[in-house]
Amino acid sequence: MAGVKALLVAYDPKDFPELAEWASEAGVQPVYLAVHEAAAKAGDYAAKLGARVYVAETSNPGSIAWAVEEVARREQAALVAGEAYRNLRDALSRVAAALEAPMATDATKAEVEGDSVIVERGFLSERAVARIQLPLPAVILFLTRFRRPSGEPSLGQGEILRLEPPEPREKRVEVREKPKGGVNLEEAEIIVGVGRGFKSKEDLKLAFELAELLGGQVGCTRPIAADLKWLSEDHWIGISGKRVSPKLYIAIGISGSPQHMSGVQGAKVIVAVNKDKAAPIFKQADYGVVADLYQFLPVLIKKLKERMGKA
Amino acid sequence: MGDIVVLVKASLNPELVRQAPDGSVDVRAIPLKISDIDRNAVEEAVKLKQKLGGKLVAISILTWGPVQARMKDLRLAVQEALAKGVDEAYVVADDSITPGDQVTTASAVKAVIERAGLKPDLILAGEATIDETTSQVPGRLARLLGYSYVSFARKLDVVDGKVIAERDLEDYIEVVEAPLPAVVSVTQEINEPRPPTLLQIRRAARKPIRQLKAGDLEGVTPPKRKILEMRVLQVKRKQVIIEGASLEEVADKLIDLLIQEGVLKL
Ligand SMILES: Cc1cc2nc3c(=O)[nH]c(=O)nc-3n(C[C@H](O)[C@H](O)[C@H](O)COP(=O)(O)OP(=O)(O)OC[C@H]3O[C@@H](n4cnc5c(N)ncnc54)[C@H](O)[C@@H]3O)c2cc1C
Ligand SMILES: Nc1ncnc2c1ncn2[C@@H]1O[C@H](COP(=O)(O)O)[C@@H](O)[C@H]1O
Repeated sequence: MAGVKALLVAYDPKDFPELAEWASEAGVQPVYLAVHEAAAKAGDYAAKLGARVYVAETSNPGSIAWAVEEVARREQAALVAGEAYRNLRDALSRVAAALEAPMATDATKAEVEGDSVIVERGFLSERAVARIQLPLPAVILFLTRFRRPSGEPSLGQGEILRLEPPEPREKRVEVREKPKGGVNLEEAEIIVGVGRGFKSKEDLKLAFELAELLGGQVGCTRPIAADLKWLSEDHWIGISGKRVSPKLYIAIGISGSPQHMSGVQGAKVIVAVNKDKAAPIFKQADYGVVADLYQFLPVLIKKLKERMGKA
Repeated sequence: MGDIVVLVKASLNPELVRQAPDGSVDVRAIPLKISDIDRNAVEEAVKLKQKLGGKLVAISILTWGPVQARMKDLRLAVQEALAKGVDEAYVVADDSITPGDQVTTASAVKAVIERAGLKPDLILAGEATIDETTSQVPGRLARLLGYSYVSFARKLDVVDGKVIAERDLEDYIEVVEAPLPAVVSVTQEINEPRPPTLLQIRRAARKPIRQLKAGDLEGVTPPKRKILEMRVLQVKRKQVIIEGASLEEVADKLIDLLIQEGVLKL
């Protein structure tokens, strides 16, 4: 029996194997739409996915929404799924409204059961997990990199179909790449996290010195990257940034907001340094030091150097 | 310039998560507060109203019931917007549509706009809420109304009947132009919201909050999503505060503990 028809929207080429593996596990019958950077790789994947792959060479959410609606209609898809990039949150929220369909974002799991889909996702800034039931038709955005596929799909030759979306109302007039800091927090075993307790960009050198001594990397809260721009955004940890799982996370001058802490739940040990003994982070840390970071970090660095024989 | 609408959600406060004895989330025991980024949306809306004129209206749909127990929190959230310079507010509070979902919310906002005879040129919202973090209500609303939609704006202006915004995406920033009427969702970085002054708060007490029920509105879609289960994630941390006569002693103790834990090798 053929399962539910699902339209899988790939935005980044990495999405193809992840979505394909989910589709086979969930027993849905997939058809793909490739947009943004995935569009350039649609040819390679059409040869492996054994399904129709529609291509719309656009990164504009208005155009993506048009393409998704078009393909969903042609293919009679009861489910639309992708990963939670900002442009897909935008595009698929419009599509969900057009289909009068419920939509779940940041899903970690989804299973089709009869004429509904059961989704697991974070709730209350990820202080909780919810299981929710959405009647079909439904839209799902998985967390980006929600699974590690076991390999590339090898499902045989598929078919490529090109779409030409009409001009959207919203027009791009300029693009600026964001700077990258070359960090790879997902792989780091030790992360020193910095927050607004630091008074200036120059002062972050204390954190970098500590990280270097420990063979770790520096991460940060949202305001440090997005607002103050003291560090590039690849350092940003939390619900709207990176999720990390080092052995050791040392949070310095960080208050412990749920949106930040959700990104470090996977850490084995959390240390917090904060001058306010009532800071919420102490309830979410293994070891807390109530001190001014400007006084404590130099001492900690000195002690580490002594004990490493580097003094 | 026509009216400006700003969306404000009274969200469950994730800093005050309450747990029932069976480990599930005790939703009724969690207070509501204005969703953080809606403060940024209100701040931006007030700025644009000062520049463009028109009436500024806040709309809030109660997602979490029961209405009786939630009215105080809902009013507080909306009053904050009024104190900051919003002219009047509409709230929809009806137990027949709680707990609501984003399908309900978007349809109810559209219904309020129609019922109140508003002709907004611009609708501002937050990029995401603190309880559900879905980023979908503004896009849904734009589609239902046939408006332009500009999401994740971290800079915004309205010039010659057009929205000009910087959209903040994962790897790049893009400047977009879109004709009015438009829905815009703003990011936390767009401005630094100032808390209202005491005088503003006192003045706001005289501004109207109009309360509606689902029956006063047309075309409100009942919730489709069903919450089957909600579990509190246990934070199993040791919560040890390291004390000592001097910072040297504290540092030494910390290093020893981390070595014991096997997360530090010297
Ligand atoms: C939808 C949404 C998504 C979000 N996503 C994220 C996200 O992904 N990541 C994220 O980080 N945030 C996110 N946020 C923002 C989050 O809510 C907090 O505002 C943010 O994490 C606070 O950063 P902070 O801890 O650096 O600053 P603050 O909260 O200002 O804390 C600074 C801390 O430093 C301490 N301090 C000050 N001076 C010193 C000193 N000399 N020595 C020691 N301690 C000192 C203070 O006591 C305080 O506790 C999000 C918010 C929303 C609404
Ligand atoms: N119940 C609601 N009432 C009014 N506005 C809402 C409601 N829910 C969401 N919004 C608006 O939509 C934005 C995004 O919410 P969400 O899609 O739930 O992440 C919020 O920041 C609000 O501006």
